[in-house]
Amino acid sequence: MALLDVSGFGAHSDLRLFGAAPKHFLDPQNHFTFSVKRQEFAVPVGVDPSAFLRSCSREGGVSIDLNHGTTTLAFKFRHGVIVAVDSRASSGSYIASKDVNKVIEINPYLLGTMSGCAADCQYWERLLAKECRLYKLRNKERISVSAASKLLSNMMCGYRGMGLSMGSMICGWDKKGPGLYYVDENGTRLSGRMFSTGCGNSYAYGVMDSGYREDLTVEEAYELGRRAIAHATHRDAYSGGVINMYHMQEDGWIKVCQEDVSELIHKYRKGMF
Amino acid sequence: MSIMSYNGGAVMAMRGKDCVAIASDRRFGVQAQMVTTDFQKIFPMGDRLYIGLAGLATDVQTVSQRLKFRLNLYELKEGRQIKPKTFMSMVSNLLYERRFGPYYIEPVIAGLDPKTFEPFICSLDLIGCPMVTEDFVVSGTCAEQMYGMCESLWEPDMERQAFEMTCPVSRIIEFDRMSTTVDSKWDSKGIISKDGRCGNNTASSKSMI
Repeated sequence: MALLDVSGFGAHSDLRLFGAAPKHFLDPQNHFTFSVKRQEFAVPVGVDPSAFLRSCSREGGVSIDLNHGTTTLAFKFRHGVIVAVDSRASSGSYIASKDVNKVIEINPYLLGTMSGCAADCQYWERLLAKECRLYKLRNKERISVSAASKLLSNMMCGYRGMGLSMGSMICGWDKKGPGLYYVDENGTRLSGRMFSTGCGNSYAYGVMDSGYREDLTVEEAYELGRRAIAHATHRDAYSGGVINMYHMQEDGWIKVCQEDVSELIHKYRKGMF
Repeated sequence: MSIMSYNGGAVMAMRGKDCVAIASDRRFGVQAQMVTTDFQKIFPMGDRLYIGLAGLATDVQTVSQRLKFRLNLYELKEGRQIKPKTFMSMVSNLLYERRFGPYYIEPVIAGLDPKTFEPFICSLDLIGCPMVTEDFVVSGTCAEQMYGMCESLWEPDMERQAFEMTCPVSRIIEFDRMSTTVDSKWDSKGIISKDGRCGNNTASSKSMI
């Protein structure tokens, strides 16, 4: 079954051969994947997804309110990459969950963070994980961070304008050393030393920018990540829960800690309450 | 975004045996951003009478100050403390004066009659419709969650000790479910009984579920 899927053989190829399937039943061609098989979603007959989703996000009409609440951050320093995220999922002003894991462990050398629409992030990053695994099986070596982020960014470009919402950071360690890329739903792909996403990002940037040095020790870097998320969750109503922190090292990532933000904020702001 | 959830906030009051309790959160924020965690939303209007105001923060302050002004005049003219039921009418009148450009608040009143110490709680809508209940009243952005908690925890004629737990517990739990009140301090003015107010409890909420 798996080999059949991977090689792209199946009922779909017959349809294409005989030209029986009308074009609008299948998704437009996407070149994000190295495999032959196309990504296909069920689409109602005669409906153009982009037009439909545009009408959903217009003010005044029916509006699908995608949740954007979160704070995630990642920064490179001498000893690798620190990734820290909060764990609140909000739908409107209701808190749907206080312990969502917003970091997807793609493989022992690659991590992806999620912010924006929860469904979009989870789906596309899991798809990215699948593509990374396929790459490794075909090429007998791990995918580079640059290529992985390019795959995700091309997936996003393929669905541009259709209302996806995803702001993600792909972090890893490959032959070129530590890697950190920011990818978002417009297809933006940026390499950098420090990123923060989500609606609490401005608070996190403030703390990170004040405390960041390239030559931080490992403990100092952990503390910086912790502080930045804690202060962002304190100020932002849509971030909270626990801090999940990962450290990307040369021999893979380790999960550093999972700490409740309310306890941390009491420690940092002693005397304020 | 709705005007009532611009600043966010929640207030509730519960009635027990010969006592009442009133509690609120203390967050002052602007949409998603929290500004302070010590914003007062419950105001004393007599020895054993409190009003809690949920809604737009500017109106919370303005209404409490204007109400205090009217109450002071009343007490000077009458020479005695106001009864809770009369105070409710005073609030209702003040709010209806602004029928076509209302104050964006939903008040909750809790108190004991100054002479008979009969417990009294009520809430009003933003244009002054009074609603007196026998059990509990809630208002604010997490009203639905509060209704759920109060409904399950409240019993008639609760003695003071049992009462002391119920009000705070229901507060913490429902606060944690609403992003505009969560992680704020909650402030209970304590149990108001005929011996006077007992204790001002202030603590921070943590996730309990």
